[in-house]
Order: sequence, then C-alpha cells, then structure tokens
Amino acid sequence: MTAVTAVTDRTDHDGGEEDAHARVQHDDHDTRDGRTERAREETGAETGAGRGEETGKGKAEETKQEGSHDWDDGLIARRAADDQAAGAEIGPMGARTTTSLAHDGPLRSRLDALRELVGVSRARLDNRTLAEAGRVLEEAAARRRLSGQHTVVALAGATGSGKSTLFNALTGAALSDTGVRRPTTAAPIVCSWSDGAAPLIDRLGVPGRLRRRPVEGVDGDSPLRGLVLVDLPDHDSAAVQHREQVDRILALVDAVIWVVDPEKYADAVLHERYLRPLAGHAEVMFVVLNQVDRLPGEAAHQVLDDLRRLLDEDGVALGEYGEPGAAVHAVSALTGDGVGELREALGRFVAERGAPARRLSADLEAAARRLRPAYAAGGPAGLGEEARDDFTARLADAVGATAAGEAAERAWLRHAGRACGTPWLRLWRWLQDRRDPPTGRLPVPAPEDEEATARQRVEQAVRVLSERAATGLPEPWAVAVREAALRGSQGLPEALDELAARAGRPQARPPRPGWWPLAVLVQAAMTVLQVLGGIWLVGQIVGVLPPNLGVPALLMATGIVGGPVVEWGSRLAARGPARRYGLEAERRLREAAAGCGRTRVLEPVTAELLRYQEVREQYGRVVGAPTVVR
Amino acid sequence: MLQNPAKIGHSSRVVTLDVRPQLLDALSALRDRVAAVRYPLPLAGAPRARANRDELLAQLDDYLVPRLREPEAPLLAVVGGSTGAGKSTLVNSLVGRRVSEAGVLRPTTRTPVLVCHPGDHHWFSGMRVLPHLTRAWVPRRERCDEQYPLGGDGRRVLRIETAESLPQGLALLDAPDVDSLFADNRVLAAELISAADIWVMVTTAARYADAVPWHLLRTAKQHRVTLITVLDRVPHQVASEVSRQYGALLAKAGLGEVPRFTVPELPESAWGGGLLPATAVAPLRTWLAHQVTDPGARHRAMARTAHGVLDSLRARMPELAGAAAAQYAAALRLTTAVDTAYDREHARVKRRLQNGAVLAGDALKRWRSYPLDCTAAELLDALVESLSALLLCAAIAADQSAAEAWRREPAADAPELTRRDPVLESAEHRIGMAVRRWRRVLEEYAEEEVRDLDGGAAPDPEVLAALVATALLGGRRVRSAGERLAGLIGAHGALRLRDRAGRLLTEYVGRVLRAERERRLAPLDALDVTPEPQAELIAALSVLLKER
Repeated sequence: MTAVTAVTDRTDHDGGEEDAHARVQHDDHDTRDGRTERAREETGAETGAGRGEETGKGKAEETKQEGSHDWDDGLIARRAADDQAAGAEIGPMGARTTTSLAHDGPLRSRLDALRELVGVSRARLDNRTLAEAGRVLEEAAARRRLSGQHTVVALAGATGSGKSTLFNALTGAALSDTGVRRPTTAAPIVCSWSDGAAPLIDRLGVPGRLRRRPVEGVDGDSPLRGLVLVDLPDHDSAAVQHREQVDRILALVDAVIWVVDPEKYADAVLHERYLRPLAGHAEVMFVVLNQVDRLPGEAAHQVLDDLRRLLDEDGVALGEYGEPGAAVHAVSALTGDGVGELREALGRFVAERGAPARRLSADLEAAARRLRPAYAAGGPAGLGEEARDDFTARLADAVGATAAGEAAERAWLRHAGRACGTPWLRLWRWLQDRRDPPTGRLPVPAPEDEEATARQRVEQAVRVLSERAATGLPEPWAVAVREAALRGSQGLPEALDELAARAGRPQARPPRPGWWPLAVLVQAAMTVLQVLGGIWLVGQIVGVLPPNLGVPALLMATGIVGGPVVEWGSRLAARGPARRYGLEAERRLREAAAGCGRTRVLEPVTAELLRYQEVREQYGRVVGAPTVVR
Repeated sequence: MLQNPAKIGHSSRVVTLDVRPQLLDALSALRDRVAAVRYPLPLAGAPRARANRDELLAQLDDYLVPRLREPEAPLLAVVGGSTGAGKSTLVNSLVGRRVSEAGVLRPTTRTPVLVCHPGDHHWFSGMRVLPHLTRAWVPRRERCDEQYPLGGDGRRVLRIETAESLPQGLALLDAPDVDSLFADNRVLAAELISAADIWVMVTTAARYADAVPWHLLRTAKQHRVTLITVLDRVPHQVASEVSRQYGALLAKAGLGEVPRFTVPELPESAWGGGLLPATAVAPLRTWLAHQVTDPGARHRAMARTAHGVLDSLRARMPELAGAAAAQYAAALRLTTAVDTAYDREHARVKRRLQNGAVLAGDALKRWRSYPLDCTAAELLDALVESLSALLLCAAIAADQSAAEAWRREPAADAPELTRRDPVLESAEHRIGMAVRRWRRVLEEYAEEEVRDLDGGAAPDPEVLAALVATALLGGRRVRSAGERLAGLIGAHGALRLRDRAGRLLTEYVGRVLRAERERRLAPLDALDVTPEPQAELIAALSVLLKER
C-alpha cells in the first residue's frame, strides 16, 4: 500500500515549484536577448495598463532596473528620446506613447525598497532565501519593460474541465483543439486581441505557430482589446511535462482564469498546490465553474456555493459585492451560458489595465511574507546597558582587577607600616629576610609571555554577550552577530594580557600622603629619644654625667612607647589612602579592560545590530507600504 | 437480526486458502513487530515510513490476518476513486437502492458505507475487519435523505447496510475519495482500499488521465491484487473512443488484462438523484456475482489478493527495516556529534589545566601577592572560582558546538530534542557544586597529611590545600608552590599529596563533563532509537517466508 497514501503526499510537492523557477530564469534570459527588438515593437501606445501575472512562484529577473526607471521619472528629455525610438516603428494602431504599467508609482517604490533590502542583506542571507525576492524583482522589471496596455490572462485547470472549449468560446472560433482524449492540450496556445503583444508572448516562450487571432479581428473596438489569452495544458494529468509548463507560464502571466468543473472542483491538487499558495493573488484571479449544463437547475447553485466555501477556506478573497478579490462565474462553454458575462467581466478587467501591477504587488507581498522569518523575529533586539556592564565586569574579572586592587592596597599598607615602623622592627625583618630564602616573599618577576588573563573567562564573557545580543534576532542576523563577537574576541586575551601588564604594574613610587614625612620624622625622633635616654643613662652609670634618673628614664620610656604608638597611629591613618590607592589600581585595570572589550567586541556587535535595525526598517518599507492598486 | 444461519451455505463450497497455523503465528508476530516500530526522528523518509507502517498495519489487521483466519468470510469489494467519479451512484445502482449518499457537492461520501447481504451481516458487524471504525448499523433505512454524521467526537464511523439484492458472500464498500481535499478522507480511503479483496477503481471520462488515481492503479499492480476498473460517466457519443484510449493507457501501464467496465453518463449519474438503470451496471454486477458464486473464481480472486499482499511484504518489510536503520543511523550521528563535541572540550580542558590556565586573572594576582598580602583561603577561593569558570566555559562550548552540529542534522528537529532547559544557569550551579566538593575533599587530604606529621610545627592544612591546588592548577608556571609544599611537609608527603589531589582533579573534571554530556543526550536517549527494530523486522519477515 505504500503508494496509496504516497499518492496523496505528492499533491503538495514543492519540488515542482523549484523546477519552475529554474525554468523561468532560463526563459528570462531568452527574453532579455530579444529585449531590444521588443522594445521597438512595443514603443507604441500603451498608456497605462498591463498584465499582472498570476502565480506566486517563479518571478523573473530584474535586469536593468535603471532602464525601467527612465520611463517613469517624468523627465521630458527621456520621453523625447523614447519617442524618437518609437517613431521608428509606429505600430498599426498609429502613434502611441510607451508607458509603464498603470498604478506603477507605489509599486515601484516598494520594488525599489525590496531591491535595496536584497542588496544590503546579500552578505548576511544565503542565496536561497534571497532568490525568491530576486526573482520577483527580475520578473517585475521584465514585465514593466513590456507593454502595459496588454493583459496576459491564462486559462488554467484540470484535465477535461474545458479550458480549450472556453478558450474557443471566448475567441469565437475553434482555435484550440478540444476533445475527449485526456489530456487534450499539450502546449499553450495564445490569442491576442490587439497588436503589440509579441514581446509579451515571447516572454511566455510560446512559438509563433501557436499564436492565434480572434475571429472578430484585432482592429475593432472589441471590448476585449488588450487581452492576451493563453490556453494552458492541464495541471493534474499523469503527463508531468504539462504540469511543468503550467507552472512556468503561471509565473509569467498577469491574471489567471481557473476553470473548474462540477466533477473536479474539490480536487486536492487544485486547492492544495495552486489555490492556497496563490491566495494572495485573488485580485488577479477568476474562478469559472464550467460545464454547468451538466448540472440540473438547483444543483448549479449548490455547487457554486460549495466552490465559494472551498475558496474561502483556501484563503482566496472573493470579489463579491464590489470588494477586491477573485470573481466566481458559472458558465457552460459548450452551450454558451454565462460566457457573455465572463467576456464582459474580462473586458472590464482588461480595460482597467491594473492587472500587471496588481499581480506584481501580490508577488511582492508573497515574497515579503516569505522573507519575514529572515527579517522579523520575536522580541526586541539590541543590547541593554545591563548586558554591556555585565560584559565589562566579566572582562575585569578575567584580568583579575579585584584581586589586583586588593593586593595593591595591602602592599601599600604594608609599605606604610614598614616605613613608619620602629627601626628595630625593620632591622629584625631585614635580618630574617637574610636568613630565609626569599621564595614567595618577594614578588616573582613575571615572565613576559605569561597568560595573565583568564582565557576561559574572556571566552565566556564574549559568549554570554553574543547570546544576549543575538536573542530576538532572526537566525541569519543572530549568526552575523555571533560571528562579529567571535572575530572581535580573537586576540582579545593577548591584548588584555599586555594591558594588564601595563596598567597593573604599580607606579614606581606609590603616592605618599602629606603626613608621611612627619610620621617618619616623629618615628625618628622617638628613636632619637630612646637613644638619647639610653646614652644619658649609660653616662650616669659610667659616671660621666650627673646622676638624674628621672629625665633619661622618661625620655627613653617616651621613645619606647611612642615608637609603636606612632607606628600604630600611622597604620590607622594609612588605611584610607591605602584603600584609595587599591581602588585606583582596580579602577585603572577595570577601565583598561573595558575599553579594550568595547573597541574589540562591543562596537562590532553594536554595529551589526544597527545594520539589522536598518534592514528591518527597510523590510518595513517593503511590507508596510499601502496596497498599490485599489 | 436479519441473518439467517440456514442461508450461510456458500461457505461449505468455498475453496479455502492453504493456511497453516504456523503461518498465522508468524504473521501475527510480524504484525506485532510492525506495530512496535517507531520513527521518532524527523528524517526525510520518516513521514513516508510512518505512513507505510500504518498502511501495512492496517492491511494486516483489516485484511490479511482476518482473511487467512477465515477464508470463508464474504469477499469485500471496495469501490475507490477520485472525488466526483460517481462511486456512490455506482454502489447504489449495483445494490438497486440508495444506500450511500450521492450528490453534486464534493466530497460527497465522508462516512464509508458497507453494503452486504443480510445473511452476511454478522461478518461485518463485529470487529473482525476494520476494527478502527465504529459501526453504525441501521436495519432498514426508511428515509434516504437522513444524514449520518461523521463520528462527532473524532471517531470514524463505518455504516453497515444490508440489501437482499446483493448475492450472499459479497460485500461492497463505498470508500471516500482518494484525492480528497480532506486529508482524513484520503487516509481513510487508503485504509479501506487496503482491506479489500477486490479493488474496484472508478474513474471517469474526464479523469482517466489524472495523476492521482494512476498511482493507485500502479500500487494495485505492484501488490498484484484482484483489480477491476470502471470508467464511469462516459458520454454516449464518445464512449468507444474514450474507452479505447483508456484501454491503451492501461495496456501501456501493464494493466491490459485488468477487467474494464464502462458505465455511460446518464442524467442520473450527474447529481445522484436516482439510480442508474440496471442495464448500465449489469456487466459489472454479473462479474462481481460470478466471483462469489463460482468457487473457482472466488478462490482465484481471494487468493490472488492474499498472496499479492503476502508477496508485497517482501518489498515492504525491508523498506520499513531500512527506515528503522536510517533512524538508528541518524540517532547515532546525533550521539556522535555530542560525543565529539564533549570529547574535544574535555581534551581542551586537560590541555589548559596542564598549561596552568586556571592560574590566571584573579587567581594569578592572588598567587603573586601570597603570602604577604593574601591569605591561603583567598588563594584557594580564587583558584576554585577560576576552575569552575574553566569547566563552565568548556561545558557551554561543547553544548554549543553540539547544537551547531545538530543544526545540520534534519533528525535534530524532533520536538523532543529542540525543547531545551535553560542550560546556562543550571550548568553553572552544577559545576559550582562539583568544584566546591572537590575543594572540600582536597582540604580533607591536606588535613590527613597534617595529622600524619603530628609534629609541633604542623602547618596549617588550609595553606597546604592552597599550595597543592596552586601547584596542580598552575602547571609549570609555579614550581615554587611545589617547593614550598615540599618545605612544609617534606618531599615525600608533598609528592603523595600532589598525586592524590591530581587524581582527584582528573576524576572530578571527567565527572563534570560526563554529567553535562549525559544531560545533553538525555532527550535523545528518551526517544529510544535502537538498532533492534531493523533486525526484528527482517527476522519476522524471514520466519514468515519460511512458513509460507
């Protein structure tokens, strides 16, 4: 049974679409080659309208958008030049002016916005994501270069639904073969109601032998003037190449008439493969229920209602009660029922000449919608102050700013104590130092190549920062942000090493407070007092000096008590300056590390975020612009 | 009840299939294997494999096992085809009364209808076939326009109708359309067709070239089931031409010998208001009746489908096994990616430990000022903190590179695998715990050393711990730490302490990274993708083939 359900899977394949795209591109190359010729042919009188294309897939290239700008910017000089070119080949309908599509202004600005968007995001997004947008642009440019007066409408539908019969009914002659053999039509057939559509038909890749003229002729004021009708092969038969042709041409036409019949109107392949993806193109879509003659009276209405319900479920807006959307008609191509109304509707539609622009803007919207995940994602993007502070704090940790500051403070305190200490203590310490090996006591001179910075902490800091910066960004931009952070972090530990060595090195002489010399002096005085008292006492003992026990003893006692008191006092007094000194050392290291991190990592990341912000705004311009045609 | 036991005489003359109990046992073992296999990883082939598994299971449950158990049960002819092909009208016409709702709105049939002779009713009222469908049985329907809702609570319903006009031993099933806009319908149609002894494929003059039904026809050919095709709704004027072309298409597809019936398009067939005249469906009716009345034909029809399905197992089981193997291979790739990432980080951590990367930043500054301006406890604190930063960094880097590798694997998109806990905080917590525990054990070691010394000049154990930690984590940079350690507790003691602490460190680092790796792999392990299903499927198949 493998295939039983596999069958159903196949109805919603995407592979076909991609093939179609590829083919479209080929096709467009051809188109471009023939462009000059076509332009000459075209120069005629097409003011205003064009055809819109139908399908959401496959959009052609944008080659030479500059060229297309030329026609729209209102410069007389350019128009004149164009007129000269046009003058060379005045079409059968007399003097004409080359025109762009109707309602082109807003569409053009959105297309420009999209082009800019694609340009700025090339470096960030992969080609596959952008290909769709690129195709839309190319297609739009190609279509806008061509006649805006014609509207290319395709008849599409399942095999046996009567596309060719309807084609014949609309053209008024048996131009396309009809038959009971399924599938009947194998190649698209084109019928053009007015001249000048050749380049458009070239673009469809329909050879000359398959081009037809309606019976009524092309010169008259036919209500269908400007219509180029394409009869497509089926999209659901076992002949795969038919489906490929349909997909290719649907991408190039301005509007589509979907022909369904009472038997097949609910086929999964029609709804899932075509109508749902094309729901956004409802304005350039007709849905025609053919073969109503096979349904008895009431049933036709039931089926029509059911069809409308299905279309609604597909998301196709129905153009009823004057709202924009797909129009649903019931006809019988065989008996001619309803064909007249369809012709009228088509005539109105073609006369409006809005279809090409509508189709292009629907394409644009579809492309923009598909790009959405690449440009817009959840929450707000950007780095908060907190994240920056956290990053610099982590870098400071990595260089060991806190410990360095504490060490500096304690060292300063120690020096102060030693400087203001009693000489005896200093002497004792000196002796002890001489006796003990100096290991660990004296600061070991740091080798230059030492890794003083904790690599793992730097790595972690950068990682946390880039994760924070990347949250809320669409994936491609998140990757870009991470890469920017990673690039910046290369060499960061080494730079921090160097910086720590420079900034962390204590100044040659720590600054001393003003009272320090005084303290040293007093301490010295105390020593002198001790010595004096001692000498005096010794002198008395020896008998050189008159005996006076009180004063020398007092002197000596003052010296002996005063020395440690001064030492203790100055240590207390040194605490404040030591703290300041330590904090200063810490701050210097911290700031140096932060500065290094800012220039190397934070700034590139912020720049990347800014770029994303810009792109996002650009995307907003593509999406947010008001609908082009009303 | 309408069934009349006296009437079930036909079963006596049924030529039974040659079925041995061993075959049934092997088949039910195989069925259990098929039911047990899971495809949890979203690989490219997984949805297909899941669908295949479900179909095979449905066919085994609905058709093959019941058929082989009870060869005398009535033949089931399932009428399948595209939407709007006129299946319901055809069934109604064959039965001679409106049993299935026909209409112009598509898709018409959403509740499958099974029609059988009243005498056969007991075969279908039970759960012998199609056990997934709830039965709705109405003995005699008075009003034709009565609506039967689709199982309101999502249960699917099979309506059973009885009709005297059908020959005993034959049941017709009107299936929903195979190409419906409703995915449920499509699945149900496939399941119903799988349950058929006779596949009746209905197509129309407008549809005979449609791609979708042709896939069904090819499947039928592949499985060599008993197949007939009906070309329905053929306008009179083109009947012969369309029929000829359809025949040509069938012949081209290798289905030339398939019985083909043409039913003309009559006003009745368009909107299902009525029945087609008996003459229009007479040949089809006769053919179907012949299949059940003629024992030889009945046996052929039944055996062909049964054997076809049995044979198809030869291709389908390896396919399922292959998909299971692909699942296992994908799971293995995912595991390997994680293992590689963590192994790489582990190696990097080891290298860094050797280079003394832990003794950097705060820890280095502390060490430089030790012991003059810094206590042993502060030094040890700084070292521990630095070590946990190193491990955390390694764990997160491994996690990220594993995630990076998984991003390239389609299998990693399984919802079970993408749902992740906030790794960072909890990892920080876990690693911090582990490192603090290491420090405690290290201090205990130091205390033991001091206890052994028991001299009056016993050094402070904290100093010992700090020195040994510095010597271990500082790599070659801090030889002096080792020297001082030796000075304090003697060269021998220092060496011993250092060795023990080093082993301890290696063990803790390994344990931390292993724990993180296991946490990373836990969701994948929970999916339980093993190599066994592949082997089991193949084994079950070979047992079955031996028993045939």
